[in-house]
Amino acid sequence: MNVNLVHLHLVLNHVPTVGTIVALGLLLLAFAKKSDHVERASLAVFVAIALVSLPTYMTGYSAEQAIKDRPGVSAALIETHQSAALLALIFMEVTGVVAWLGLWQARRPSGRTRWNAPVVVILAAVSLGLMASAANIGGEITHPEIMAAGDAPMGTLAPDVFKTSYIARFQFTRPWAWPMLEAVHFIGLSLLFGIVLVGNLRILGLMRNARFVDIHRLLPWGVWGFVINSVTGMLFFIGQAFQYIDNPAFHLKVVFMLLAGANVLYLTLFDEVWALGPGDTAPLSAKAVAVSQIFLWIGVIYFGRMLPYLGDAF
Amino acid sequence: MESYFQWLQSLPPSVWISESESIWAYPLVLFLHSVGMGLSVGSAFAICLRLLGVARPLPVSSLRVLFRIFWGGFYLNLVTGSLLFAAAATRTGYIPVYYVKLILILFGMIVSIPIRRFVDGEAIDRVIPVRIRTLAAVSVVIWTSVITTGRLIAYIQ
Repeated sequence: MNVNLVHLHLVLNHVPTVGTIVALGLLLLAFAKKSDHVERASLAVFVAIALVSLPTYMTGYSAEQAIKDRPGVSAALIETHQSAALLALIFMEVTGVVAWLGLWQARRPSGRTRWNAPVVVILAAVSLGLMASAANIGGEITHPEIMAAGDAPMGTLAPDVFKTSYIARFQFTRPWAWPMLEAVHFIGLSLLFGIVLVGNLRILGLMRNARFVDIHRLLPWGVWGFVINSVTGMLFFIGQAFQYIDNPAFHLKVVFMLLAGANVLYLTLFDEVWALGPGDTAPLSAKAVAVSQIFLWIGVIYFGRMLPYLGDAF
Repeated sequence: MESYFQWLQSLPPSVWISESESIWAYPLVLFLHSVGMGLSVGSAFAICLRLLGVARPLPVSSLRVLFRIFWGGFYLNLVTGSLLFAAAATRTGYIPVYYVKLILILFGMIVSIPIRRFVDGEAIDRVIPVRIRTLAAVSVVIWTSVITTGRLIAYIQ
């Protein structure tokens, strides 16, 4: 299993850099051609990259475990790569959230706010720079030949608080930190699950006197729930990575979460749900998506709860 | 109290939950308790957000059906929560934060009564009285505190 996850890291680690270049190119093309369709496509790609960046970061720990004892592999270089990657990941996630907000705003009668597009461009450019830097340091771990002779290894702009060891020590030395993160993680779960449930129940025919446009206005709160749980979840992961990386429940949880997260894009991108007026019945395809979304989120909760039982996390 | 806790813990469902190694025993009850939390607190959050002014064009009357989900999750957690307590009564029964959680749940139910009455009424959709908005905010605080105290039960020895 471990070998597969190392492979996965080597495949996924191209997505944040190459993907961001493509999405940024699409966005600039959309500005030049004044095409709303291309612009929305580019924003959707940013959301997808933000989702894929999470397993990109997490599989890095499997790669670390696989090579850390090899001769010639520098532990300090791995740590530098890891904190550079965390800084880049944070910018990538913020870019994804702001891109999602742009997609959501485009559905409002008042349209997108003027700040959205330029902020996405700036965030994407910064993320790209940070990701490229993290990737460069990562490359030096196993390919010392790319460094010129006598060159010092690349440094990172990331401050010490981005070091895995710093975050783990913080949790370890403060006994209240872990329980508090757990409480916040469950509050975020309720917020995310409740809002997504409301959107999907309308598609399934409950709350039929409401237009979907109006339900849609609740969705950012579901996304805040997702943000709360990504942050607290990543802090659990960074604090105790080695109880998760080989845990089958964790693998399934992440797969379900990525599918469910991508699925939520459906609620903002597709016209068939968007056009639902008061009393309207959603088409069967929309109902199928709604059922799959509810199933996927319940699956995320199930595998989250099973972390100590299918695996050995506490 | 000790004899009562011991009696609870000796009941067949309690013994099954605490002693079975099956993934469908204790872990399943724990999972269902989380789903019940998502259903009840999640729908309460959605109702309260609308009453606090989010998604203003959404008709308040459309929230009525969410109360059914709220109570569905509530009863699921009443059952699963009772099972979890019975299985560990001699431990959980001596944790003060457990009783704080129960009292908070009681407060949450009391606050839900006037909120329910308002949503069921014929009130004009766009105007939410300050009293109802305050109750919605109080309700959000109560349910987040219920979750926090619930999580703490697992960590206090």
